[in-house]
Amino acid sequence: MCRVIQILFNTLIYGSEIAIIAVGVALSYSILRFANFAHVQFAVVGAYTAFSLHQYAGAPIALAAVLAALLTGLFAVLVDWLVFARLRNITPEGKMIVSWGVALFIRSIVAAMFGGSARVFDVSSDTLSIGGAFFTLQDVIVVAATALAMLALHALLYRTLAGTALRALASNRDLAETRGIPAARMIGLMWFICGTTAALGGTLFALQTRLQPNMDLVMLLPVFSAVTIGGLDRVFGAALGAVVLSLAQNLLISVDFGTLFSGESWSVPTQFRDFIAVGAMVLILLLRPRRIAARAAG
Amino acid sequence: MTDFIIFSVTTIAIWSVLGISLHLQFGLTGLVNFGQVLPFAVGAYGAGFAAVHGLPIWAGALIGCGLAPLIGVLVILPAGRLTQDYWALVTLGAGEIFRLAMLNISGIAGGVEGASVVRLGDRTLAMVLALVLLTGTALFAFRMDRSPLGRLLRVLREDETLAATLGRNPLRFQLVVTAVSWVMAGLAGVLYAHVTGYVSPSSFMVIETFVIWTAVVLGGPNTIAGVVLGTAVVQLTGVSTRFIAQWSHLPSELVANLRLAAFGAVLVLVFLFRPQGVIPEPKRRYNADSR
Repeated sequence: MCRVIQILFNTLIYGSEIAIIAVGVALSYSILRFANFAHVQFAVVGAYTAFSLHQYAGAPIALAAVLAALLTGLFAVLVDWLVFARLRNITPEGKMIVSWGVALFIRSIVAAMFGGSARVFDVSSDTLSIGGAFFTLQDVIVVAATALAMLALHALLYRTLAGTALRALASNRDLAETRGIPAARMIGLMWFICGTTAALGGTLFALQTRLQPNMDLVMLLPVFSAVTIGGLDRVFGAALGAVVLSLAQNLLISVDFGTLFSGESWSVPTQFRDFIAVGAMVLILLLRPRRIAARAAG
Repeated sequence: MTDFIIFSVTTIAIWSVLGISLHLQFGLTGLVNFGQVLPFAVGAYGAGFAAVHGLPIWAGALIGCGLAPLIGVLVILPAGRLTQDYWALVTLGAGEIFRLAMLNISGIAGGVEGASVVRLGDRTLAMVLALVLLTGTALFAFRMDRSPLGRLLRVLREDETLAATLGRNPLRFQLVVTAVSWVMAGLAGVLYAHVTGYVSPSSFMVIETFVIWTAVVLGGPNTIAGVVLGTAVVQLTGVSTRFIAQWSHLPSELVANLRLAAFGAVLVLVFLFRPQGVIPEPKRRYNADSR
């Protein structure tokens, strides 16, 4: 029983980190119609900004995380203004390639500034236990922060005028513009949301593991797999996809397949997490290609 | 100095083959392959597998470039009917998965440490082999480009639906192009393994794919000359990183990072200011009546 609880906890923790980064990918896909591979870099930039504010400027960690999120939001708007805004009319393939150019640029600059070695936030936290499952206070904070951010994002998208405008742009760009929705300003807001949520996710991710310029590659596959599972243009589908993926990973890694089938203890090694991510992505593509194809065409 | 030139030419030739392979996929057919490093890695690991398991060199080469198109077809099957977004995601994922498999399964070719393979001692011979491979690949790509198949692939690139209304099955042609171009990249991988004398998972990171993309986009994805020119520029900055570090007294890690940042900037700037690349695709006129 306690193993089940532990698996559920781990699912929730890892799923949260991935979800908050993944929603931005889906949001920008729904409006601009391309997979932004530079999105994960916002998470890295956010994490390094939070680290700098905390470690060098002495800000408390919560304040540093929030400030970093806001700054990264502005950074995302700047990136759009410099690059993507000028390329609105090229093909989606072109935009994907450009987004890799942006990603390559940002990750190399981060690596040049901070060096390739790993850094760790010096935060310590107590270990708690519920029903025999162990987790740290930090885990609770990660899940709580993600839940709060999700609620805020949901409220923004479904309870405010700006949110309605964003959803209108996503569902029919031409119609929305004809009806007087200021597309340029709304897209700016969209990038700000993307940068902010990704930065928050990156900071949480770095708090849990460690800070490294190549953490983008660690997050890349799970994030895009989660977005694919949820359907590329569905914001909360991406969040759900993250939890589903996380559950699949934690289940497959925790279950002792050896005992089930042959008697000898054997389970999937943790290094194979990413195999599960890509496997889940391919499985989803095979199982429901028709729907995705129709959606992408429409 | 001659050593440096020979090394540079060999490197440029090998990476040009990868570029031409991407030219066939993206420039000609419009397939966005974000896992171009995968067939290259498969080729190299074919050689690595043969070396570790005591098989002759030709067996390794055969495994490498036989497996590359097979894996390519396997990868394209789930994504083939979908839009390019998914094709990009699946190839990216497949490339990373292969690298992770090589990293974690030490039985294939040494795991994290990698494996050493027979190194071509004669560097001139290595250069000549690389140039022969490049010439062969370029001629083949050129013939393909000018053939009726090439014409159809361009139609496929511009409008998949149009190709389908002409009675051509897009997926079938995409499979053919993938298989052919992945054999090329696989061959480049086999040669690369024997030139460096070593295969390790760290040589086949996601970033390598985008070094190839930078070269192809910079030179012009639609022409072979453009691809080779782009590769020459990109790889020359690569091989001279060490000298730039010595000359500028900056740490070489910093110089390497700035170089990659420059590649990223080039990729963006080309799209902003010269989307057709340095050497654009010439306009072609076809007369449907006279053959």
